[in-house]
Amino acid sequence: MKKKILLVEDERALCLLYEEELSKEGYDITAVTDAEAALAKLGEITFDLIITDIRMPGKNGIELITQIMGLRKDIPIIINSAYQSYKEDFMTWAADAYVVKSSSLDELKARIKQLLGE
Amino acid sequence: MMSELRKDLISGRWVIIATERSKRPDDFRPRGAVAPAPEAVGFCPFCEGNEGKTPPEVFSLRTAGTAPDSPGWTVRVVPNKFPALTPGPPPPRATQGIFQSMEGRGVHEVVIENPDHALELGDLPVTHIREVLRVFQMRIRAIECDLHYQYVQIFKNKGKEAGASLSHPHSQIVATPIIPKRVKEEIYGADRLFRVFKECAFCRILRDEEAAGTRIIAKNGHFTAFAPYASRFPFEMTVYPKRHSAFFTDVREDELLTLAETLKHVLTRLKETVNDPPFNMVLHQAPNPALSLKGWPDIHLKSHWHLEIIPILTKVAGFEWGTGFYINPIPPETGAQFLRQP
Repeated sequence: MKKKILLVEDERALCLLYEEELSKEGYDITAVTDAEAALAKLGEITFDLIITDIRMPGKNGIELITQIMGLRKDIPIIINSAYQSYKEDFMTWAADAYVVKSSSLDELKARIKQLLGE
Repeated sequence: MMSELRKDLISGRWVIIATERSKRPDDFRPRGAVAPAPEAVGFCPFCEGNEGKTPPEVFSLRTAGTAPDSPGWTVRVVPNKFPALTPGPPPPRATQGIFQSMEGRGVHEVVIENPDHALELGDLPVTHIREVLRVFQMRIRAIECDLHYQYVQIFKNKGKEAGASLSHPHSQIVATPIIPKRVKEEIYGADRLFRVFKECAFCRILRDEEAAGTRIIAKNGHFTAFAPYASRFPFEMTVYPKRHSAFFTDVREDELLTLAETLKHVLTRLKETVNDPPFNMVLHQAPNPALSLKGWPDIHLKSHWHLEIIPILTKVAGFEWGTGFYINPIPPETGAQFLRQP
């Protein structure tokens, strides 16, 4: 069965790119553009992994992670941000990996495989 | 009244004590004078029960029979999950034209001071503070075994304005493959003054401060806390050991307890006087002894470890950045007087 990944990314163009690239890898991607939509999806679907941006309109990615931790702590979370500097925020430690956005998705794919034990 | 320029003996840094705009502690209290509550504990990677969200601990003090990375600890040390510096031997420096660089090698650890999110260092029992200090010593010793690390810096940022990104009480340890510029300046300053005073400049400062008494905040058999003569910031404090020693790892077991007592006292007084302000606490000590004693064979005579506590009540702005001068609106004598009062 395909592993389910929740992608939280406010840039629609990036959402499409990630969906296309990660679907090719055999994952079932659900993409949402803000934290509220992500929390709603988490209530409906059991995901195997979450990828989230930090800077988003409304709740930011760290607030989203904090809320997810209150619900369940066992879903691996990858922060995917354009900003290296957020790594200095200890709240990002709630995530399992931090991948800085890049034109190549190789590192992101490698981290997904690692966290899903593939 | 005219302001006064004061010079810090060791660093040579000048400070403007702006007595004409002298303020009282109340001027620094947030309106409403209510201490900010710790942030709601939705999720905190440093809280007991969330050990799985930090990298595996490198050290902990814990109840016998409890496993590493599980609840049951009192002090816990973990590596930074996303470190700015990664352990390993630093390769030679690279040059790009006139510019130098090197790989970011080093150690970056977090000391989680206690499992309770709401208990700050100064709120802990003296014996627990002693344990935190003992853990600092143990980590310094362990890190300094690796001779690639020339300097081990221990510091604490309390509060957002002081640079803390998480309110759970913690300190940090960063070991660097070079001796930082400010540490070198302190060594050079102490070396210069040693030749003038024919003794450790810090010991001389401590003796003169105790004789004057006006800037003393607290003292016991082993330690003296005082407001430095050329304090840069309101309510700035420093804690000197009376027994001369260059290295924090030399502090003896009985001294650790009195240091914990001193810290608890001054942190509590700071909290009461200026309504629990954000602050930075910084350990000053000589570099890794295995290395520094080779470069400076008499460094143990000239360097004198001490703690610096800097409340964040004013902003460092253009004048300070441009000149290296600081403007302090509270004379240290006044600050010490407020901090002394029960």
